[in-house]
Amino acid sequence: MFDTRSLRAIEKALDASALRQRVYANDIANVDTPGYKRSHVDFEASLQNALGESEGDLVGFRTDPRHMQIGQPSTFADVQPTVVLDNSSSLTNNGNNVDIDAEMSEVAKNQMTYDALVKQMDMQFSMLKNVITGGQ
Amino acid sequence: MGLFDGLDISASGLTAERLRLDVIANNVANANTTRTPEGGPYRREVVGFAARPSSESFASQFNRALGSTSPALGGVEVTGVTQDTTNPLKRVYDPSNPDAVRNPASPDYGYVLMPNVDISTEMIDMISASRAYDANVTVLDASKSMTMKALQIGS
Repeated sequence: MFDTRSLRAIEKALDASALRQRVYANDIANVDTPGYKRSHVDFEASLQNALGESEGDLVGFRTDPRHMQIGQPSTFADVQPTVVLDNSSSLTNNGNNVDIDAEMSEVAKNQMTYDALVKQMDMQFSMLKNVITGGQ
Repeated sequence: MGLFDGLDISASGLTAERLRLDVIANNVANANTTRTPEGGPYRREVVGFAARPSSESFASQFNRALGSTSPALGGVEVTGVTQDTTNPLKRVYDPSNPDAVRNPASPDYGYVLMPNVDISTEMIDMISASRAYDANVTVLDASKSMTMKALQIGS
């Protein structure tokens, strides 16, 4: 009853959003550290893959577990948010590439996303509660 | 990944920026100090920052040593307060200063060595530290509000 696909998806998205908040907090705390490179979290692409919504990917059709896997594996349980280091550019003289404005706006976006996901989870549970109590 | 790790990271940022502001205040207060207990004029101090690795399980530290690129999320720590030896001390002609050179035979007769503190540089560093402190406070608020929202799921 509680293991529906939508609840699992929301739960994974909440985990990714919480990890994202930690990564942004780390970036902003290290805004003055020489040589520090910012990181970000990759999650949406792999979740879309697992939900089967991405188009144009070539996925091999397997009839036997011993067949080789072609394309992205799309088991839902394997979707994990990953922290990726961004070595690309340097905005300042001391090797630090944290852009404080971009990070702060990402924090605001992430907070609103988290609130929206929490609200969605609330609505799922209240739908279940409604059904269980028969609408009373 | 615990419930309060985001708060710990932002708190480390607040501590580091506050210490930086204290060092700047010390520099500005001692901008004209010609006599210190170690001898000689006051030398400008700077703070060193380093990204702090979080205290985590052996498995994740081992994975990082093997070359996985996911970084440690522990915030920032101060590595130390060191004296600035790259900027030279200022040499000012002021015979009335009690610390001026008194020996008439020396080429520095009447000169006094002043600290290498540049007020405008310190002011700009102060603004930078203050803005970074504000940013860390905002992130801490955001993390706190997210955690409190999570605790209200289903109620």
